[in-house]
Amino acid sequence: MLESLVSLECMSLSSMDVSVLERLKWLQQQPQQQQQVRSSTNASPELLQFHGTNNDELLQSTFSHFQMLGSGFGPNYNMGFGPSHETMDGCISRTSSCQMDPADTMGIILKNSEENIAISLKNKRKSEVKTREEEKTEKKIKVEAETESNMKGKSNMSNTEASSDTSKQTSKGASEIQKLDYIHVRARRGQATDRHSLAERARREKISKKMKYLQDLVPGCNKVTGRAGMLDEIINYVQSLQRQVEFLSMKLAVLNPELELAMEDLSVKQFQAYFTNLPVVAASKPSIMIDAPLFPLDQQGSLDLSVINPNQATSIEAPSASWETQSQSLYNTSSLGFQY
Amino acid sequence: MERQIINKKKRVFSVEPNKIPPSEVFTRKYTSLLVPALKKLNMNKNSSQVNQLTVKHEVDMALALSAQEFAWSRFLLQKLSSSNNPTTTTSSSSNGIRIQERSGKEGGHEDGEREEKLRELQKLLPGGEEMNVEEMLGEIGNYIKCLELQTIALKSIVQDTT
Repeated sequence: MLESLVSLECMSLSSMDVSVLERLKWLQQQPQQQQQVRSSTNASPELLQFHGTNNDELLQSTFSHFQMLGSGFGPNYNMGFGPSHETMDGCISRTSSCQMDPADTMGIILKNSEENIAISLKNKRKSEVKTREEEKTEKKIKVEAETESNMKGKSNMSNTEASSDTSKQTSKGASEIQKLDYIHVRARRGQATDRHSLAERARREKISKKMKYLQDLVPGCNKVTGRAGMLDEIINYVQSLQRQVEFLSMKLAVLNPELELAMEDLSVKQFQAYFTNLPVVAASKPSIMIDAPLFPLDQQGSLDLSVINPNQATSIEAPSASWETQSQSLYNTSSLGFQY
Repeated sequence: MERQIINKKKRVFSVEPNKIPPSEVFTRKYTSLLVPALKKLNMNKNSSQVNQLTVKHEVDMALALSAQEFAWSRFLLQKLSSSNNPTTTTSSSSNGIRIQERSGKEGGHEDGEREEKLRELQKLLPGGEEMNVEEMLGEIGNYIKCLELQTIALKSIVQDTT
């Protein structure tokens, strides 16, 4: 078993001039070996590790781009996810790609090997029970796609945040290095293979994105840095808004008997007042950019107060001028940091 | 008068379907709900005993009904329909003040602090405690917006009656 792999390795290492396509064809033409390997599912992670440790120097030099596929297979194998001939293909593809220096061909190899693996999966499974085959292939392909997309997402994130992350990762890498991590030499070393840390990362990204959005929403949040301070501001703001509503409803309760008299004008005036007063609120947040997914308030589009800002100059009317000053004073008395 | 409002609403919807900012939709819904409710309150009670709590109840109800796209509105509706005495809102605000002070004193553990603040936020948002943090942060955003619009609407109503 191991000897067969050793022989594969030797072949790959020795014949470096063999073109990639030939290698991949060779990949496809190894049914018997793969069937052998399939029988010993337990040994697969060890095989990988065996490969990893032996091919260290070679692989390290070229795996900067290969980590996508490699790590995509890594977690699969660690979780005992697939039968062994997948591992076989993974190993083989790793060894086969180690000779490639330019990045483009690496990319091509990755794609080709993935396709071939998918194809080989489909081909080989014909001998087995068909329903089970299809299920497994679909599952595997999905998982591959998933992990791949995860890795792609991660690699995108790493491209944008590499500087801030490398320090974290190097410190984390020491604690999280597994044997498979030998193969990934990228900056995201410690975090690559762990499914949990991947999910955690994604979650943290989402949360920080939402925090940024809230920062734009709440006035005065820009000056406070750090999450705790921002959260404080947001809490204060929400509380003050709620208190305002209470205060106003109290006022309304007092005034309620007179409500009927003034009702007729309400419809017209209220909308005028609305239009003129919204800029007063919006002026404190000049840079409102609201994400469509967060505010599905209407099918027509996202909540966009910035649209009303241009109205500010045009629609200010005399009857509501006093209202504006009154509202400003109201804000000032009950505010905890509003700025106008 | 109500018909006026309703007609206006309908007309605007049909004539300019693409140009209404959703904030306007909210305020219109809100006022069209609240004003008749207040009138009805007035008519029904007929004494000068219009409770502040019932008004608050109506106010909250209008808020919840006019923002039905959001999760928190469902929670708010539940809360309102289950308890006819809307004492919860007043007590929650006072709780908020107390908790705020306490968290100001705590200096330590950054993550613990942050988590506690997130929990506070959750308490402020109706139904926030039943959501997870991500969801809650998103909902807080639109809750803030709706609260702002609500204050504007209330102010204009108050203004027009004085």
